[in-house]
Amino acid sequence: MTTANPPRQILSRLADEDFAGRESELDRLDSLARTDAQARSTVLRSNGLLLGAPRVGKTEILRKFFDRLFSEGGEVLPFYYALPRSCVDQEKFARDYFSRFLAQFVAFRRDDPKLIEAADEPLAVIGRAAPAEDYLCVRSLIDSFTSALQSGDATALLRVALSAPGAAATHAGLEPLVLLDDAHHLAGTELHAELIRALGSGGASDRRKPIYVLTGLRRLVSNLIPPDQELFDRIDVIHAESLSNEVIERATRRRADLFGIDTTDSTIELIVQQLDCDSFYIKSILNAAASRGASLKTFIEFERLYYSELLNGRIGYYLDELMREVAPGAGEGRAMLEALALVIEAGSPVPIDAVTERIREHTPDSEGLLRRLHSREMLEVSYGFVAAPGDPVLTDYVRARYRGEVAGSPRPVAGDELLGEKLKHSYSVMMSRYNRGIESQLVELLSRFDFQSIPASLFDHVAYEKRYRGMGRVQVRRALDDEQERVRPPQIVHVHDLGDDEQPGVSWRLYAATGFEGGIYTEANEVLWLVALINSKEPLDVVTLGRIEQRLDAALRGQRAKSDRLSHVVRWYISKEGFSAVASERLASVYAWRSTYVHLDLIQDYLTRLALTGEPRPASEFELVIPIEDEAELIAARTAEQIARAADFSQEAINQIKTALIEACINAAEHSDSPDRKIHQRFAIDEDKLIITVSNKGKTFGRANGQATPALNARPKKGARGRGFQIIRALMDEVEFERTDDGARLVMTKYLKRPDTR
Amino acid sequence: MSLAEIRARLMGDKAVIYPGPYLNQLRGESIEDQCQELLAAGVRRIVINFAETELINSIGISILLGVIESVNGAEASLVLSNLNASNRELFEMLGLMSHVEMADTEEEALKTTPDVDLVQFAG
Repeated sequence: MTTANPPRQILSRLADEDFAGRESELDRLDSLARTDAQARSTVLRSNGLLLGAPRVGKTEILRKFFDRLFSEGGEVLPFYYALPRSCVDQEKFARDYFSRFLAQFVAFRRDDPKLIEAADEPLAVIGRAAPAEDYLCVRSLIDSFTSALQSGDATALLRVALSAPGAAATHAGLEPLVLLDDAHHLAGTELHAELIRALGSGGASDRRKPIYVLTGLRRLVSNLIPPDQELFDRIDVIHAESLSNEVIERATRRRADLFGIDTTDSTIELIVQQLDCDSFYIKSILNAAASRGASLKTFIEFERLYYSELLNGRIGYYLDELMREVAPGAGEGRAMLEALALVIEAGSPVPIDAVTERIREHTPDSEGLLRRLHSREMLEVSYGFVAAPGDPVLTDYVRARYRGEVAGSPRPVAGDELLGEKLKHSYSVMMSRYNRGIESQLVELLSRFDFQSIPASLFDHVAYEKRYRGMGRVQVRRALDDEQERVRPPQIVHVHDLGDDEQPGVSWRLYAATGFEGGIYTEANEVLWLVALINSKEPLDVVTLGRIEQRLDAALRGQRAKSDRLSHVVRWYISKEGFSAVASERLASVYAWRSTYVHLDLIQDYLTRLALTGEPRPASEFELVIPIEDEAELIAARTAEQIARAADFSQEAINQIKTALIEACINAAEHSDSPDRKIHQRFAIDEDKLIITVSNKGKTFGRANGQATPALNARPKKGARGRGFQIIRALMDEVEFERTDDGARLVMTKYLKRPDTR
Repeated sequence: MSLAEIRARLMGDKAVIYPGPYLNQLRGESIEDQCQELLAAGVRRIVINFAETELINSIGISILLGVIESVNGAEASLVLSNLNASNRELFEMLGLMSHVEMADTEEEALKTTPDVDLVQFAG
């Protein structure tokens, strides 16, 4: 987004330096807010939902966006409104909404943020502050509101309040934007219907209709929109993602420095990891350290402060309040603690019946309680199971309260038992960041697998060592291109986490990735990749390998129990420090892939490069569709001849292109199940090459075996037949087979001169 | 399927076959039939003149391999002549050159064979 002046801090709570990593969300909001004149007349304007986990920073994003628009003083008139906890009283809500809008409008027009605070003043006072050119408009809005108030019609009053931003913006020639925070408070109120009416009203080019952006508790906010196709067509969902470790660490370090708190890199890292990158918890700890003048230079200093804050400080008060809001009564409070403790201690999803059974004696409305916990994302409730949300601070809080208040454990006179446990696990918490990084890298990589051609040595550390030992990484990257042996991974459809385990010095996590070889969606082509990601300080020894194999075998049995047709299984072991000679031999004997973390990086780089170096769109393209009939391929050959001649190819090259194309057409015809009995061709001329794409629908150009580009015809007749692909490869410079969702295509490239002579 | 007309010249116990501009399955099968007929009629040397043949596909070549086998099996000889560079490259690539005699021209392939009337065959 563009701002002439640096934005002022008006409603936002963080300085710009502390508000990093949100450009993507702000850009999305920006494009939502600004609709140019042409688009206004042709396109339906969208409203927005800003969704994200609790405490991820949605409110701050809206407030920052307001500040930017306010400071910019441009064509968008921003109005930020946080819904109060209780919206039952329509009149009270209408008064509050109207006066806050009016104050923000006057402040915006006068470019004076201080006037925003006048919202609590009588309407007449706000009106008097309006600039001369807006006075009549403001006066008229106030009169309309007052008259609706006197009529006693709550609905009319509400509509006057909700329509004020549109009316004021129209007068001022601006685009109205309403940023509604805490919109979940609308759920179950009469206001909800009015808001939906406001969201849906107005035509495509109705400038009086504001654009609304709603945020709040995502599970409730997303439920506010009824299943109305037209409404959903006009909703743009913006996801506020969690900020990265690096951004949070930088902000934590900066804040600690600002408060003069002594820290070290290690304690900063521990704080960020243990508090799960949650800005609110981190800020609470830093504020507590600042107010007590405490140092955070050692782990125990942090853990002591953490427990103090968790049990009797800001974090504790916040969680107490949250608990009271979800479960106001004593019985419900106990039920909630029982439910949370049961699910947290289980460590895996618990059947919902087991949870309701446990809490039934404390609350008559166990379903309602679970629903509220789910809305607050304190539990994940599905139809069959209840799971813990993975908030480590909430987990510690529940454990501490449960021990003291339910289990009745005596409290130590100083310190806390949980403190000792935290200290014991602090190293693994630090390591978990590294492990999580690698794990998400692997999952992302597996998800990108899609029949690409990857150098085989990246799946075989022995071959890699033989070929590239002593070479620098840059040299290796270059040399990989020349590798003849290739692995074509399947198109991965889903990846399951099979859990983790550890023993001294080694930890591992296992995954099951299911997909289709060659991207051909048949049972015969379904394949399971069992992947072990091993973090060890030494090369993996054969004893540990045996344990991991047992776990993978058990996982395989589980998968086979689900699908008895699963016949093709590939095992891939990725060990940070490689494998001992014996372990490596054992893996080779069972045809398992063997990689290291270095190989993982290289595979990722390789796939990224493949994706980035996709062919740019050529200057001219021609398309031809021929029927699958005798000699129709000649039409294709003639077309190719004319195009190649126009592109200055030699007669010899033209003949080669024609012969290759004929073979491609024959193969496409032979292997097509296409109901239209047609072969589609595209001829693209680039500066120095002709790219011909031949596509068919139905089957593929040949049977893919997942390891190499498939042969085109498996049963040669009288010798030469079946060598069509060999002919194509020999006559063209580059040949790529690609599968598509409904068939396959062959992409053949001929250079004006061969690449090695250019 | 339409009939593929193949031109041929018969000269005593020698014959020349002209596959036409495109040697595919249809024309390949016509040539195959024609060769059988010629061999049955006592022809002992068959020349296939590719001067007009611009394109050959792999099915045509596979049938040609069958023709080579059957001519050799009948103790006759087959010569391929007038191949353009592309078709020659294709034959080399598929290893045909080692199974059959090649000549640059039809005359060379026939050597001293006298001209006779042109005969039209249909396969």
